[in-house]
Amino acid sequence: MATLAAAVLLVALPAGGQVDLGTEEQRAAGKIVYDKYCGQCHGDTGDGNGYATPRVKPKPRDFTTGTYKFRTTPNGMLPTDDDLRRVIEIGAPYTSMPGWPNLTSAEIQNVIYYIKSFSPDFENPDRYGEPIEIPRPLESTEESIARGRVVYEEQGCAACHGEVGRGDGPSAPTLVNDKGDPIKVADLTQRWTYRGGATKEDIYRTFSTGLNGTPMPSYADSLEIEDRQHLVNYVYSLGDGDDPNYGTLITAVYSEEPIDLEDGETLDALFETAPMTRFPLVGQISEPGRNFFPSVTSIEAQAVYNRDEIAFRVRWHDLRADTSGRNSPSLEVPMWDEDNGIGAEAADDGGDDFFGDAGGDDFFGEFGGEEAPAEDDFFGDSGGDDFFGDGGDDFFGAADAGPPGAEFSDAVALQFPASLAPEETPELKPYFLYGDSQNPVDLWFVNLTYGVADTFRGRGSESIEPTEADIVEAVTSYDQGEWTVTYKRRRSSRAGVSFAEQQYTPVAFSVWDGFNRERGNKRALSSWFYVYTEPSVQPATTFPIVRAAVIVLVLELLVVFLVRRRARRQAAGEEAAGGTLAATEAPAV
Amino acid sequence: MLGLNLPVVIVLAAVGGVLAWRRANTLTWLLYTWVALWAFFKYGFAVPIPRSVATIYLGITGLALVCFASSSRERLSETVQPIARLILEPRYRLALAGLLVALPALAAYNVYADLNVPLEAPGFGREVHPPPPTEMTVHDETVDMATAENPYLHYNHDDPELYGEHLENGRRVYYENCFWCHGDGMGGDGMFAHGLNPVPSNFNDVGTLPILQSSFVHWRIAKGAPGLPGAGTPWDSMMPAWEKFLTTEEMWDVNLFIYDFNGYEPRALGQH
Repeated sequence: MATLAAAVLLVALPAGGQVDLGTEEQRAAGKIVYDKYCGQCHGDTGDGNGYATPRVKPKPRDFTTGTYKFRTTPNGMLPTDDDLRRVIEIGAPYTSMPGWPNLTSAEIQNVIYYIKSFSPDFENPDRYGEPIEIPRPLESTEESIARGRVVYEEQGCAACHGEVGRGDGPSAPTLVNDKGDPIKVADLTQRWTYRGGATKEDIYRTFSTGLNGTPMPSYADSLEIEDRQHLVNYVYSLGDGDDPNYGTLITAVYSEEPIDLEDGETLDALFETAPMTRFPLVGQISEPGRNFFPSVTSIEAQAVYNRDEIAFRVRWHDLRADTSGRNSPSLEVPMWDEDNGIGAEAADDGGDDFFGDAGGDDFFGEFGGEEAPAEDDFFGDSGGDDFFGDGGDDFFGAADAGPPGAEFSDAVALQFPASLAPEETPELKPYFLYGDSQNPVDLWFVNLTYGVADTFRGRGSESIEPTEADIVEAVTSYDQGEWTVTYKRRRSSRAGVSFAEQQYTPVAFSVWDGFNRERGNKRALSSWFYVYTEPSVQPATTFPIVRAAVIVLVLELLVVFLVRRRARRQAAGEEAAGGTLAATEAPAV
Repeated sequence: MLGLNLPVVIVLAAVGGVLAWRRANTLTWLLYTWVALWAFFKYGFAVPIPRSVATIYLGITGLALVCFASSSRERLSETVQPIARLILEPRYRLALAGLLVALPALAAYNVYADLNVPLEAPGFGREVHPPPPTEMTVHDETVDMATAENPYLHYNHDDPELYGEHLENGRRVYYENCFWCHGDGMGGDGMFAHGLNPVPSNFNDVGTLPILQSSFVHWRIAKGAPGLPGAGTPWDSMMPAWEKFLTTEEMWDVNLFIYDFNGYEPRALGQH
């Protein structure tokens, strides 16, 4: 009845054709598609509260609010149907919103009608705005990029996006959306992760319309069109390629030079010669202490070696250097810390947030924050009973009072098998999650609070022991939102894996972002990849090429000679059988 | 379709059609067969096939063509005569010179290309559906793999309302735990899938759920990667052993849900 009334009302409105809520049948058809494909995240009632919601970040859109980020319409306005269609078709990269290429155009239109029925805003013609015009991008000249840089500085983009765009501005850790959920600033250098799309048109659109409900404003009023275009060129120039080009292999290059971790300049020059490979990282979700929304989505790695030593360098982006907390590969993660929502329900009863209650005091004993008021100790307070109800909740509520302190530090680990696979089963590797009882792994772990490498032997997540069989050295640095960690070890090892020339050695990575409360099993990790130690002496290539050409030429000439001789003899009156002729010719064909 | 690069296949077939129409001679057919096969291996597949495999096929095909050409005196002379004419007749002198230069150049380029193949991580075969054990223990209960069935499947007919409740519970379990890898639409394309090797199972695929018994799926859910035999490369797979996180009922419910969502039914007991 209510929808019918609304429909009648809408017909009467002089909305200039903008208000289009579809027919009852279209919305009903949209509901069927929505219930099957959308409700699990966006909620069966469209409130953004589906089964998956507690475990995804950013949160699924709440359709009851009428607030949409990706639009061609002015700031604060509703999106057009085409805007909604675009997101449904291609999704939002590196979020839990996938594209839906299997839906037909009509199905998508019906879903759009159904989604719009969740918010009364779509019945209000005042909330509709004309889509902006997106001009053709300006040519990306040096002058344009330089002007864009000036605009970037003048407009204070760096406050959130960082000096060189790595999403590490001073405000980045504090940002929340209008629902109070923390949001991650776009890393402008990784264009493939732009949620609203990575083309110059997409970037222009974001400047011009802003992202409703987030701190990303519209610059439509404050910047001339041309300046926005220059800014597009500048932002685009920060990007590290169109796509991540994920690889599967690190090629370790040989050098005659000594590897000195203390001599930064020489070390940098050494790594200049080594190819860089980017590897994808995903959340660890196989062992308890799962990480459903890892902060770091990729890591870059290189390797060089000389006669005695091998060095690895890894780099990744992190919005803040967390170097005051603790971390270790085996630090326990309580179940409630796997997601930030299940506890939040409990918070509604308890009424306070984790940091308010427990984070500031000395729950962690000697590890507690220095600024801890220490009025009580956690266990004394809760008596071990209602820990989850009380403390396991809304960690992010603390964002109201500024960024949460670093309870856990940033960390990184390289993982190698403790020994290479036997020749008869070359595919055999240890379990990629810290190894297994039969096939252990070695971890080169660096807690960035201390910046030194600790080695662990892993025989599965429950069995990680420190080991000192090999000395691994490390140096670390954090610069403009990027961590760089360089490791060095002797190539040969008695206890672990040795790096012989022309050897493929499995390697895997783990990264912990302390800001995201990552520690122990709650981490970003990679599958097994390989490092290949390139031969120190590259084989010559000219000789085999010339040899192949000469062999073929000689064979050809031989055939020609034999055929002609036979023909001459034939002409001289001799009988020749075709069979013997063929025997010499077949190979040349 | 079929992972083929259709335009290439169509062009190759069209060339064959033209040769048939023009009644090409035996030598042309032999050359066409080999070159078309080479082009098919190199460009005909959407996902390139390994060079070593292509080389073996082309080698065998080459030998077969030689055998075919020399299988009768007539075919042999049809094959050989054009070559002999090319070599002997003065009007082909230029063509012969061209061929004498072109073939060594081709061989040289081939070796050059071989030397410049970008390095790749070693790849190993893996059994996608390795044989399950005859029985397993899940939450202290022994499951006989040959006879176990989803205990809630029969509600589909007996008690649709109860069936719906189990499905809804399965939906909850799936979207709280599974979609990161297997995807919202179950295409094996979740937001973590790009970082995993082996890639997560695609439940839309007609070659996955319908050919498996529900007990097999239960085994995969309960025991995950650590429960795979060596042929399934358990060390590489991200699939968790869900018995660590879920109750037996939850595991059967999500089992029910993934079949229902895709409109499939488990392979019946004893059906091969």
